[in-house]
Amino acid sequence: MNMVILLPIGVPILVGMMLWMSSFAEHFRKEKKKKAPGNRIALYAVSILLLTACAAAAVVLSWTGDRQLTLTELVDGIPLYFYIDDLGKLFVTVVSVIWVLTSVYCYSYLKEEGADKRFLGCFLALYGVLVGLCFAGNLVTMYLFYELMTLVSTPLVMHNRSREAILAGLKYLFFSLCGAYAGLFGIFVLNRYCDTLVFLPGGSLSPEMAVSYAGILQAAVFVMLIGFGAKAGMLPLHAWLPTAHPVAPSPASAVLSGVIVKFGVFAMIRVVCYVVGTELIRGTWVQTVWMVLSLCTVFMGSMLAFREPVFKKRLAYSTVSQLSYIVFGLSLLNPAALTGALLHVVGHAVIKCGLFLTAGVFLSKYGCTKVSELSGIGKKQPKVLWCYTVFALGLIGMPFTAGFVSKWNLAVGSLTSKTGVFAVLGPIVLLISALLTAGYLLPVTMHGFFPGESETAGRQGNPEKERTDWWMLLPLLVLAVLTVLLGTFPGKLVSYFEELSGLLIG
Amino acid sequence: MDFVQNFPFISILLSLFSGPLTSILNGKWAKRVNTLVITVIGFLSGAVLFYVLGTGEAFVYRMGHFPAPWGNEIRVGVLEGFMALFFCAVMLLCMLGGSAEREREIEDSKQNLYYIMVNLLLCSLLALIYTNDLFTAYVFVEINTISACGLIMIKQNGRTIEAAVRYMIMSLLGSGLLLLGICFLYDLTGHLLMSNIKEAVAELAATGQYHVPLFLSLGLISVGLAIKSALYPFHAWLPDAYGYSTVSSAAILSSLVSKGYIFLLVKIFYRVIGFSVVCDSKVINVLFVFGVIGMIMGSVSAIKEGEIRRMIAFSSVAQIGYIYMGFGLGTEEGIVASVYHILSHCATKSLLFVAASGLTDASGGSRKFPDLTGAGYRNKLAGVAFTVGSLSMVGFPMFSGFISKLLFAQAAMEHDRKMMITLVALAISTVLNAIYFMKTVIRIYTPAAKGYAHPDSRRIPLGEQPDKNLALVFFILLNVMLGLNSEPIVELIRKGLGMFS
Repeated sequence: MNMVILLPIGVPILVGMMLWMSSFAEHFRKEKKKKAPGNRIALYAVSILLLTACAAAAVVLSWTGDRQLTLTELVDGIPLYFYIDDLGKLFVTVVSVIWVLTSVYCYSYLKEEGADKRFLGCFLALYGVLVGLCFAGNLVTMYLFYELMTLVSTPLVMHNRSREAILAGLKYLFFSLCGAYAGLFGIFVLNRYCDTLVFLPGGSLSPEMAVSYAGILQAAVFVMLIGFGAKAGMLPLHAWLPTAHPVAPSPASAVLSGVIVKFGVFAMIRVVCYVVGTELIRGTWVQTVWMVLSLCTVFMGSMLAFREPVFKKRLAYSTVSQLSYIVFGLSLLNPAALTGALLHVVGHAVIKCGLFLTAGVFLSKYGCTKVSELSGIGKKQPKVLWCYTVFALGLIGMPFTAGFVSKWNLAVGSLTSKTGVFAVLGPIVLLISALLTAGYLLPVTMHGFFPGESETAGRQGNPEKERTDWWMLLPLLVLAVLTVLLGTFPGKLVSYFEELSGLLIG
Repeated sequence: MDFVQNFPFISILLSLFSGPLTSILNGKWAKRVNTLVITVIGFLSGAVLFYVLGTGEAFVYRMGHFPAPWGNEIRVGVLEGFMALFFCAVMLLCMLGGSAEREREIEDSKQNLYYIMVNLLLCSLLALIYTNDLFTAYVFVEINTISACGLIMIKQNGRTIEAAVRYMIMSLLGSGLLLLGICFLYDLTGHLLMSNIKEAVAELAATGQYHVPLFLSLGLISVGLAIKSALYPFHAWLPDAYGYSTVSSAAILSSLVSKGYIFLLVKIFYRVIGFSVVCDSKVINVLFVFGVIGMIMGSVSAIKEGEIRRMIAFSSVAQIGYIYMGFGLGTEEGIVASVYHILSHCATKSLLFVAASGLTDASGGSRKFPDLTGAGYRNKLAGVAFTVGSLSMVGFPMFSGFISKLLFAQAAMEHDRKMMITLVALAISTVLNAIYFMKTVIRIYTPAAKGYAHPDSRRIPLGEQPDKNLALVFFILLNVMLGLNSEPIVELIRKGLGMFS
């Protein structure tokens, strides 16, 4: 009966692969038939419906009942094992919402980029892989899907097939693989010392083991944190992110920046809270270095974003910085901070996805890549720019938006954690970074609505383009509403996360 | 006696006598006969494997029904049957994948000579797998060496002949040491049949008699076979031999010939000396140290290499290092991991050689990295296959290399002293592997800048090399199968090792 878990994993992967294969078949056909426009709508309608069905299935499955499933054993004692737990539920829900909204957006956007089947195929397959990653019940299964995620998301980065895109994709691949192998090394060590690699809230490492092999275990956990930190854009393996995210087509960069990078954090939580337990690294050099690295990344990301003229690149640097908010919240090893971190996972996913989608609107309609070209854009696309403003305020952390709740919890957690100087240093860096965030996001709104003398945007624009495109606008509106809702009525969510954090960090 | 029990002997004879047969046929028919023979032997081995799995115990086949001290025996268990089947499958694919190159690079008058060599090689590999007699093993080791030399130098240019001479010298040195070791053992025990020697050795080990000579003979045999399978300091012959011979030779040499010797060594450990005696000796520590050094140094040399074929060849040195490191752990788990790595490396390395030849074809025959830029677009399937092979070598989940790394790590965990060294070596070597394999993958998928492409580079459509593409697809499937469906195979290996003793 529990085989049903495989449904939302297997179906998107299979259908995605088939779509992808058929795109190759088209490529090899001698004469290119001219495609009827109806085909395209049908293709998208079917894909979106399928995705919605799978997403609904995944979400319903994860919120109803306790489900687990053991497939074949890879080697002795390490099976492919799926188990849906609280963290998995949370991530599956976020992924599903973002995926369905982005797939609607794709229809309009990819008109400009072409090669629908290839993109949709990867997009669907990636969804299946991510669901598998969320449902993975032990470290090795998680690792398997983690690597698959890298492999399947690379074609999305390379989608344009320009030299720049391909090089960026390969850079992404290389950094991710190196990071994952650092993680693998840690898995080898943990396999020896932990009783089991299955995820248990609070960890499965016995206290005697933790004391007698503290040195090697801490080193292994540190290596894993650095390795999985590559995906989350944490120093020192962050360099791929500002290269890879901007070159991908906008829906792809939206999911890369909004969702995929979160799985670096996901892997860290799995390792620290579900396998070794927080007591192993609390107060040790591992925690100190981890906090220092994440704070440095927060600051560095914001600074680089501030001085970056290219819009999508600016957003990518912003991701680097925001992701490390989450990592910092995690590294404090304090329930309140973890609550903040998890809230920021949700909030940032919604907001950053929205930001990249708005960037996509500007890029596809007016060809604007630089921030300076966006002045006056509010006259052409007021609704889109209003959405953008909501997202920007959310990311800065204005009250009544998602960003405020998470940052508040992060700051409270930091101040109540007993980490010495970091307890104070954390909120200070967060504040500075919030100011910088305002500094790099709000000028777009200001110059967009009030261009002054230098109106440049949409010089080549025509009325055809300025019509409201509901395929694009609808997801943006939903995301903007979500941003506000999450910030206005956070009660349920916060209490859910507090319960979860209490369970994870005793 | 069931009729199936004749099959191992029949398959050895079949491959032996198809050699002379192909010598009188012309090239095309020789190829057909060769393919047919390998296929038939594959089926026979499969039948043997099922038979042994069914009965659940190994059987001994006496040739000519002479009893022990005079007669010669074949002994077949699960692992032997499986190895024979696997080797046949890989050999068939290697021959298929390199057929176009072979016909292009070898003179017409020598085409059928190639098939004689391949048949002899298969015969000797089968004999090494099946035989229960140490001296027969030695004889077939020599036959193996000679046919391998032929495979290297049949493509005639200066480098291959030099490589073949080098290979000959190193190999003969290795077999000389092996022969010395066997002589010592014969002297000590008075037997040549493996099972008899094992009884005698167990007695000697129990009483502590002749400790030094026993140790010495074990050392000589190990070192001899290590030289022949290119363990690190003895690898000088390898890059040229694999790098310049025709592609099916390179694939066969790297994936089968060296593995045959290693399998013989496993057999000697279990069936001749006895595994506990081997573990108590210090020989395994030596193997461990050189294995670990080989893992690192092989990869370092591969990183420095400027040609794709030689790079893959150097990567073999590193992979052989893995296998010996597994032996060096001195546990059952270590041997299981090593045997699994034999299979995994077998499937992956031949895939890499064949895929690399597809890439070089698309780049005007040049093997230098700058000319390979963008080759993945010019020959699509070869590019995908090379990527799969690289990911497998690096240890990407879903492919075979990941499972063997997992098995090595698990095996290392049971060993307190060697654990840290093994894990660190695994980690470093994985990163080094990632560096040179991913570098190549990145290279073949980087679009070539205008004006910098090799003048003869061209696009190869899927239909142009059907044989090679078929082989590549099967290799990829084999790899994925080993990677996803590892549990039954590991179980098979365990059962096979259990039948050894």
